[in-house]
Amino acid sequence: MTRAVSWIYLAIAFAFIYLPVGTLVLFSFQGSTLPVPPFDGPSARWYAEVLSDDGLVDALSNSLLVAAGSSILAVGLGFFAAYGLARHVLPGSVAIRGLLIAPLTVSYLIIGLGLLIVLTRVGLGLSLLTVAIGHVVINLPLAFAIIYASMGAQQKNAETAARDLGAGEMQVIWLVTVPMVFPAIAAAFFLSLTFSWDEFIIAFLLSRFDVTLPVEIWSLLRSGLSPRLNAIGSLVFLVSVAIVLLLEFLVFRKRRA
Amino acid sequence: MRTHDQSVRGWSFVTPALLWTLAFFVVPFLVMGAMSLATLEGRTLIWGLSLANYAEIAEKAYIWRAFFVSLEITLIVTVVSILLAYPLAWIIAFRVPPKWQRLALLLAVLPFWTSYVVRSYAWLLVLAREGAINQAMLGLGLISEPLTLANTRFATVTGFVHFFVMLLTLTIYANLIQLSPNYRRAAMDLGASAFQTFRHVILPLTLPGVVTGAFLTFVLCIGDYVTPQILGGNSELTVPQVIMVQLGRRADFPLASALAIALMAIVTLAYLASARWLRLDRL
Amino acid sequence: MTAPVSIIKLNHRFGDFHALKDIELDIDAGEYITLLGPSGCGKTTLLSVLGGFIEPSEGRVSIGGRDMTRVAPAKRPTTTMFQDYALFPHMNLRDNVSFGLRMAGVERRARYARAEAMLDLVGLAGSAQKRPHELSGGQRQRVALARALAVEPDVLLLDEPLGALDLKLRRAMQDELKAIQRQVGTTFVHVTHDQEEAMAIADRIVVMNAGRIEDEGTPARIYRQPASLFSADFMGEMNHIPASVTPEGIDTPLGRLAVTSGFSGACVACIRPEAIDLNDGPIALGTARVKDAAFFGTYVRAHVIPDAAPDLILVANLPPGEVPAPGQDLVLSAREEAFHIFPTGD
Repeated sequence: MTRAVSWIYLAIAFAFIYLPVGTLVLFSFQGSTLPVPPFDGPSARWYAEVLSDDGLVDALSNSLLVAAGSSILAVGLGFFAAYGLARHVLPGSVAIRGLLIAPLTVSYLIIGLGLLIVLTRVGLGLSLLTVAIGHVVINLPLAFAIIYASMGAQQKNAETAARDLGAGEMQVIWLVTVPMVFPAIAAAFFLSLTFSWDEFIIAFLLSRFDVTLPVEIWSLLRSGLSPRLNAIGSLVFLVSVAIVLLLEFLVFRKRRA
Repeated sequence: MRTHDQSVRGWSFVTPALLWTLAFFVVPFLVMGAMSLATLEGRTLIWGLSLANYAEIAEKAYIWRAFFVSLEITLIVTVVSILLAYPLAWIIAFRVPPKWQRLALLLAVLPFWTSYVVRSYAWLLVLAREGAINQAMLGLGLISEPLTLANTRFATVTGFVHFFVMLLTLTIYANLIQLSPNYRRAAMDLGASAFQTFRHVILPLTLPGVVTGAFLTFVLCIGDYVTPQILGGNSELTVPQVIMVQLGRRADFPLASALAIALMAIVTLAYLASARWLRLDRL
Repeated sequence: MTAPVSIIKLNHRFGDFHALKDIELDIDAGEYITLLGPSGCGKTTLLSVLGGFIEPSEGRVSIGGRDMTRVAPAKRPTTTMFQDYALFPHMNLRDNVSFGLRMAGVERRARYARAEAMLDLVGLAGSAQKRPHELSGGQRQRVALARALAVEPDVLLLDEPLGALDLKLRRAMQDELKAIQRQVGTTFVHVTHDQEEAMAIADRIVVMNAGRIEDEGTPARIYRQPASLFSADFMGEMNHIPASVTPEGIDTPLGRLAVTSGFSGACVACIRPEAIDLNDGPIALGTARVKDAAFFGTYVRAHVIPDAAPDLILVANLPPGEVPAPGQDLVLSAREEAFHIFPTGD
């Protein structure tokens, strides 16, 4: 009997989880101008409109730019910090680790606010650069934590062996460490990409003219519901899903091999 | 001598990340703290050591009410999300055949990857007076007048719960999977029913993970601006919404900073309360 | 409490893989049985079937005369001691040991008393308030035993319980397990891949290979008269001498030996290293040159090359006297009973 209850719960849970997204995708094919029921015969006109909207396309490439740039930097900084802490005995390493991870517990709104105050005072104009800076702040702790957690005794021994055989520090890192912790690096990178790509409040606070996609969608939202938004939302969803599935198969295949 | 060399090298690796965190996290934080002690006279900012902003928080009804609203909503969301997510994680971990678990988990969190803004907006499509639920119920004749579901606390909570159920299902599942299957086998072998196994063995062992998830939910929920703004309308304001009002309308950075610091204080209290079980490295 | 176990025509498949093939076994109440075999032979699968964690594809399991084939672990009169002990880390020892009693509804004072008694039985009296992480591996194993016995099962199933312990501890625990079993009288079924452990502990050994029972019997009988080539090789070292059976004896590279056999044609003649005698014995094996020799305390282990068959290398366990030097010549012999003949391709 409990088996049946389990499957019923599973079904209800999935229905709840997919309700908004399902509605979104369904009504992105809405024929009329109302993004809500009744459903008016499938039409792809909103997708066409979205894809030809310059503002949106610009916002999209901005999002990708910021996501890629900030993720590379976050993972780079995080990797070297993890390497430094894991391989060398430093005084106060517990405190350092705590400091590097601290931003994880602070609301993005507060991080964004703090940066807004400081960066404008310093005279740095708001732009995609400031957004990227904010995104590195939120992604660095995550990248560091993930990579640090994967640097275990096995890597350490391999590095010691390499040094023993005459490799210099940079060679050890490039030829031994990076390949061995690569899954963690990849995971950190893709997680950073996802968080940056989707992030709203910091991008909202720290940008002015060039905006990222979530901010652009927000502005459109201010002018009321429209099937265009449904189309954008569905597109964003489908692209994200595609990336996740791609990642899943790449990683999955790697494990199998 | 070698340790000294090592130290120097070690520092050179850690320093960039450390500097970044100091420059773009710690410093802004400190400046914000200082800003919370400043005052705004007309349009001029006056630095100082004034507690006027904090006083305003305590005195102005619409502000301290916002704190209560935020706390209430956050606590409701945290409890409801855990109660809904735990069984879901359990079912995926123990009832779904191992071959299909990855897929089930992936499907359960796929909507996670809709843009956060878009997902809150999508709930509007569902809950609005002309939205999916109302249309369906009107069509089936269950109601004669559309219900007001959007722009209410109910809508905000629903939007939050939707997001956090997915997040918590992930974290609780990861926790459940880590348990040695022999714990369950041993318990059942010794005569425990499925419920007894859960109550006496699984639940206590997963409690730290649940507390960690709850803390994460608390922090993310109480600091969120998007969901209450889109789904709650202006019926009642949460603290993030009040902060954004200060920034937008009057560029009142001092008050906004004070509000932010107050919010941080609450989160810190929550951290201290749950620190006993908290394992951030187990995220 | 105790009960006999009967396994009838048991077969189990994991998809296409045939893990257990026509297993038939009768275990008396109060016997200490070991399931012995290499990794993958099916011994742990068989144990899981007995414990109720796996429902077999075909066949029956009967415990104490009642059919238990499809009965869940909770309802069976068996308990299992797991390889990783699976002690509940969040409970102290007393709560761990009394867990089964609590599930059965025994009230607190009675089950605590019994838990203390069981901890005493395994030599951990006074540790009731400790947590598992405070104990060593050997101590945790005892707690697992106490917990399994606290519910007075008819059959106790042990899944490689001593695998994680070092040699000295393992030997001590083997003696203790045996002593405890004698004291409580419960039927014990113990899975292991270590034939020395099996011989030290078991009343009867069941040798398994590739899903089948190859041999079963007392340690002495299995060692001295193994039923199959696999069993012979698994229970200890064996010299293999290719032979063919004739009416007058067996033809080997060492000559014709006066050994009778029920088989005919090509076969393998096996003889244990300690069964090779020096100098005069009923069956002469000819002279051999020592290749190397090492002192092992109670015997000298030597590799020897027979003059009559220079392609063959025999292992001989000689008396612990002087260690022969490489190149030295020895005269070897054996008795007829020492030979075990198996058809080739067994």
